[in-house]
Amino acid sequence: MPGFLRRHSNLLIIGGIGLVAGAAVYRLHGPAGIGRAMETAAGVFLGVLPAMLAGLLLAGSLKQLIPAGALAKWMGAESGWRGLGVATLAGMAMPGGPMAAFPLVLVLAQAGADRGALIAFIVAWALNGFQRVLVWEVPLLGADFAILRFLCGLPLGFIAGALARRLPIDWVPPGSQAGGQRP
Amino acid sequence: MTPGQILLFVVALVAFGLALRRGVPTAQRALRDTGQTIGRVLPLLLVALPMAAFLAELIPPDAAAGWLGPESGLPGIIVASFAGGFIPGGPFVSFPLVLTFIKAGAGGPQMVALITGWAILGFHRVIAWEWPVLGGRFVAIRLAASFALPVLAGVLAQWLLPWFPHALIRP
Repeated sequence: MPGFLRRHSNLLIIGGIGLVAGAAVYRLHGPAGIGRAMETAAGVFLGVLPAMLAGLLLAGSLKQLIPAGALAKWMGAESGWRGLGVATLAGMAMPGGPMAAFPLVLVLAQAGADRGALIAFIVAWALNGFQRVLVWEVPLLGADFAILRFLCGLPLGFIAGALARRLPIDWVPPGSQAGGQRP
Repeated sequence: MTPGQILLFVVALVAFGLALRRGVPTAQRALRDTGQTIGRVLPLLLVALPMAAFLAELIPPDAAAGWLGPESGLPGIIVASFAGGFIPGGPFVSFPLVLTFIKAGAGGPQMVALITGWAILGFHRVIAWEWPVLGGRFVAIRLAASFALPVLAGVLAQWLLPWFPHALIRP
């Protein structure tokens, strides 16, 4: 059933890596290692579940509130460097963990942001999110190091976004109807 | 729940409230959309989290700081960039780890590369979040566009380091 395999390829790949890694853990650490890992996984699952439900509800509601294509002018394929700049600023301002950020990327995609802007957003959020820099990096590693690290990260979202726009890989946002706008 | 999570809940409920004000059908569409995404993401998450935890078990907790010393130069930056991608967990794991490395004598540019690698490549997060929500093709595009950037950040840090004499606090 090639259709079944394609539809669930993500699940199968992740499950496959999991089985291999689990077997390696079993060989190295025995059942105790497996137990520890499953405990960690269950703890993370229960920890992120509420935030994830909130993040997805936020994304689902915003999708209804923001008309499709509304952001195309700001972050679309024709937005150039300015679009990457807007996306970088939005990413740095975005608070919260991956459970909020990745569903929001779906919303931005539906609202007309192109892949370059989406990737600039993700890189800026992951690397230079103000909240994390202020809450974690400055207190733990010192302001001087944090500023140096921040400056070195500043151009990266632009570079990743500009590169992503030139990569010849087709991509349509998941959940969007076939025939949606492509770059 | 953390304050951040509570904030997220409040914002989500406000957004849903706004959808409800547009009318019940809009709110129903929002709920249906949310349900569909949950249906897509949840099975992946249930498989991805044990996988990530297994990988974390396999990574030695105190990888040699000697590899990442100030004299390790560009090779050290490259090692740090990709090692960073394998640091599991959120900032509560990575920044304390970097602090231990710095205290053990790791170099500044190498640590910039490590943090950048953790943030941008973070395979743990890619597997648990980005892949389930955005799909394998998007992950391929994003990683192809950004896998070399942590090295670039480390090289930039090497250039800028003379202007930041206090960047590395040693005990």
